[in-house]
Amino acid sequence: MTRWSPRTPIAAIVAVCLLTHLAAAQSSQAHHRSIVIVTGEQPTVPVPTLMEGAALTVGNLELADQLFLRLAGLGPSLTTAGDRNFVPLLARSWTRRDSVTLVFDLDPRARWQDGAPVTARDVVFTFERARNPRIAPRLAALLRHMTAVTAEGDRRVVFRYAQAYPEQLYDATFHAAPLPSHLLDSIPPEALARSSFVGQPVGSGPYRLVRSVAGQFVELAANDRFFLGKPEIERVFIRVAADPNARINLLMSGQADAMDNVVPPLNNLQRLRADTSLRLIPVPSPTLGFLLFNQKDPRDPAQPHPILSEVRVRRAIVLGLNRQLMVRAVFGSYAEVPYGPVSPLLWIRHRSPKAERHQPTEARRLLADAGWKDSDNDGILDQNGRPLILSLSLPNTSAIRRQMALLAQEQLRQIGISLEVQQMEFPVWSERRNAGRFDVDFTAVTQDPSPSGLTQGWSCGGGTNVARYCNPRVDSLLSRAVLGSDQNPIRIWIAVLRQIEADAPAAFIYAPSYVYAVRNRFRNVSISPVSSWQLLREWKVAN
Amino acid sequence: MEGGELSSWVVRRLVDSTITFALALTLAFFLMRVAPGDPLARVTEGRTLSPAEVAALRTRYGLEQPLIRQFGSFVEGLVRGDLGVSIEYGRPVTALLAERLPATVLLGGSVLLLNFSLGLWLGVRQAVRRGTAEDRWLTALSLMGYAIPSFWLGLVLAWLIGIELRLLPAAGMQDPLLGTDAGFLARAVDLLRHLVLPAVTLSVVSIAATMRYQRTAMLEVLQLPFITTARAKGLREQDVTWRHAWRNALFPVITLFGLWLPLLVTGSVFVEAVFAWPGLGSLAASAVWGRDYPVIMGCVLLVAGLVVTAGFLTDLAYTVLDPRVRLA
Repeated sequence: MTRWSPRTPIAAIVAVCLLTHLAAAQSSQAHHRSIVIVTGEQPTVPVPTLMEGAALTVGNLELADQLFLRLAGLGPSLTTAGDRNFVPLLARSWTRRDSVTLVFDLDPRARWQDGAPVTARDVVFTFERARNPRIAPRLAALLRHMTAVTAEGDRRVVFRYAQAYPEQLYDATFHAAPLPSHLLDSIPPEALARSSFVGQPVGSGPYRLVRSVAGQFVELAANDRFFLGKPEIERVFIRVAADPNARINLLMSGQADAMDNVVPPLNNLQRLRADTSLRLIPVPSPTLGFLLFNQKDPRDPAQPHPILSEVRVRRAIVLGLNRQLMVRAVFGSYAEVPYGPVSPLLWIRHRSPKAERHQPTEARRLLADAGWKDSDNDGILDQNGRPLILSLSLPNTSAIRRQMALLAQEQLRQIGISLEVQQMEFPVWSERRNAGRFDVDFTAVTQDPSPSGLTQGWSCGGGTNVARYCNPRVDSLLSRAVLGSDQNPIRIWIAVLRQIEADAPAAFIYAPSYVYAVRNRFRNVSISPVSSWQLLREWKVAN
Repeated sequence: MEGGELSSWVVRRLVDSTITFALALTLAFFLMRVAPGDPLARVTEGRTLSPAEVAALRTRYGLEQPLIRQFGSFVEGLVRGDLGVSIEYGRPVTALLAERLPATVLLGGSVLLLNFSLGLWLGVRQAVRRGTAEDRWLTALSLMGYAIPSFWLGLVLAWLIGIELRLLPAAGMQDPLLGTDAGFLARAVDLLRHLVLPAVTLSVVSIAATMRYQRTAMLEVLQLPFITTARAKGLREQDVTWRHAWRNALFPVITLFGLWLPLLVTGSVFVEAVFAWPGLGSLAASAVWGRDYPVIMGCVLLVAGLVVTAGFLTDLAYTVLDPRVRLA
């Protein structure tokens, strides 16, 4: 037998590593005008009108924004009301015929990626499908106020609505980007999801899809015919890594150039700041986290909740929580305590008051007023022999909520409330939440830019109002705000928020910014809060 | 062993394996459905869906049907080779499995190769050099490898080799920048570079286990009289070790092989996550967390198939390799 030495395989491994490392370096140098973005979700169906149900993912929505251009985009203020705060995209301009009729004139330079012009017929075709509840139930519900979309010639489209309301332009432009009718009108609507178009979509956007490698990445190439100017970044690779640690590793190892949502955990910041080739960019997020108080008894929904139906108890919990401290502990400076159910994405937050500070003395007074005393000196308040114990449900998949739940538990113990934290698997948590089987639920939602969505969670008959919070005054204010029947709509929206804060149906805890990491070699970097990489077409590459 | 005897044994074992396989699938089907948790949770998370939309989704995935009818539909589909549509991905399960299988086979195959080449070789070397310094430090090394948790090792290797030294990719299965026009060699090298860290991470524990098993088995065989006879006949030490002793010391390792085979799918969940390796393990884990019943059943089908096949192959290997083993 030959004499074996451990040096031999080690030397072989090092040689292979060095050789392959050199090969990789050569491969990377050949792609100066490209970017590798690492995300958590593989886009599978990035086609407007098909992104419903399971296909309604951030990955699909963001890729669709690279492939398909909307009629107009939200302006920097993100204001969804009115006709002025939008920027022209496929539509060169728009005018109003009356309070229920909007007219768009398409940009004559606009082309599909196969060279065909974008016409009014494409827009009509798209909205026929988008408004069909059998094809796109979610979109049809969002576009319910729209009564007709018609073409006047090749370049003019007319939208008609059932009633006047401030978000007509938003509805016409935000929810569905036009599809190429010349390629799709021969495909039955129900067959489109299985057609070859999904794998090789032809859009009007700044990038076209080159290939999609399942579970790994999607490759895009700049659209040479893009009428607003060919993007300087010629190739875009959207790389997929479901695990947050793997995403950070891809970025730190130089295998990726950009990443979203690097915080929390906060220690990621230290790691990324150590890499001088990266910069961090905070952007308002559509996320909102809150403790939702069940207004009904979880065991008998016909009865009010034995503890939480009392507004003084709910207010005491809100004031007993040091929300500013909780936010700082988990997000550092990259989040704030919201006033009402408003994420940083919603334009109405700019005029809203500041959230209340931690007031434990006032919280104790409210609880005492409501009849809660510590009669047995065990540190937990009680009333008629019943201790003030509440359960807090949360999914075990959310590290943010887990960390905050423990902080809330400790803070509420200081005012005599015992919070039992119940972590559960996501599907179990979701099932219990939707059935109203909870005392306090740690909810996190993502919001559309429109504040109209608040009606779903906070009106008496709202579709996602699982805690059955109901205040007719809030309903009335919401209707007025959504319909824009007031001279000063922002005043009504603020009144909605004030009433919700006064009723305390929830303790609104965090409204974070998403922190993006981007390599310094990219210039003119702007990131849209609505769709992360939408403005990639405007980025430049340093020489 | 007579040919006819072997044939009837194979038929009997095939029938047993089929029954085991069917039972495993049936149990998995019903147990998953009686467990709490809404399979539409991820689809409807944070979104406003009317009761009619939720009902439509339930109808689409057959979730509103009685359990026994759902099982009937599953079996019907299985016979046709149709495992249904994933609730989370909205795509046929067979397509999802087919996309993920090559990555799993590649990683699992590499781990098996590393395990049963390096592990066996080192185990034999240790036994032959029993009590030497090499045996002692290889023992220490194997015990250390056995004690290291794969998830920790994966994180450390990704950080050290991938980030700090940048010798190998920290994650992924291929360099997207390599382009479709790259030659076969460039692609193969790229794939190899990405494979090294996950394969090493998964292999360390299994190599350590194989070394320990092989060393013990070899030590037992090396003390048997036929080895002394072989040496007395003047055979070279290499022939004594590999032709006579090793063949007889293989049996415990064959059992180990049967146990490792299914673990290559189910045991790589964390390593796939750490290295963003697009295999079946992460797909299965994500399906369980999201109660994606069709995908879970697809993965159970594969794993149950592997378990049954591994058991069958192990028994077959015993009977073929060792004439002393009687067919029962």
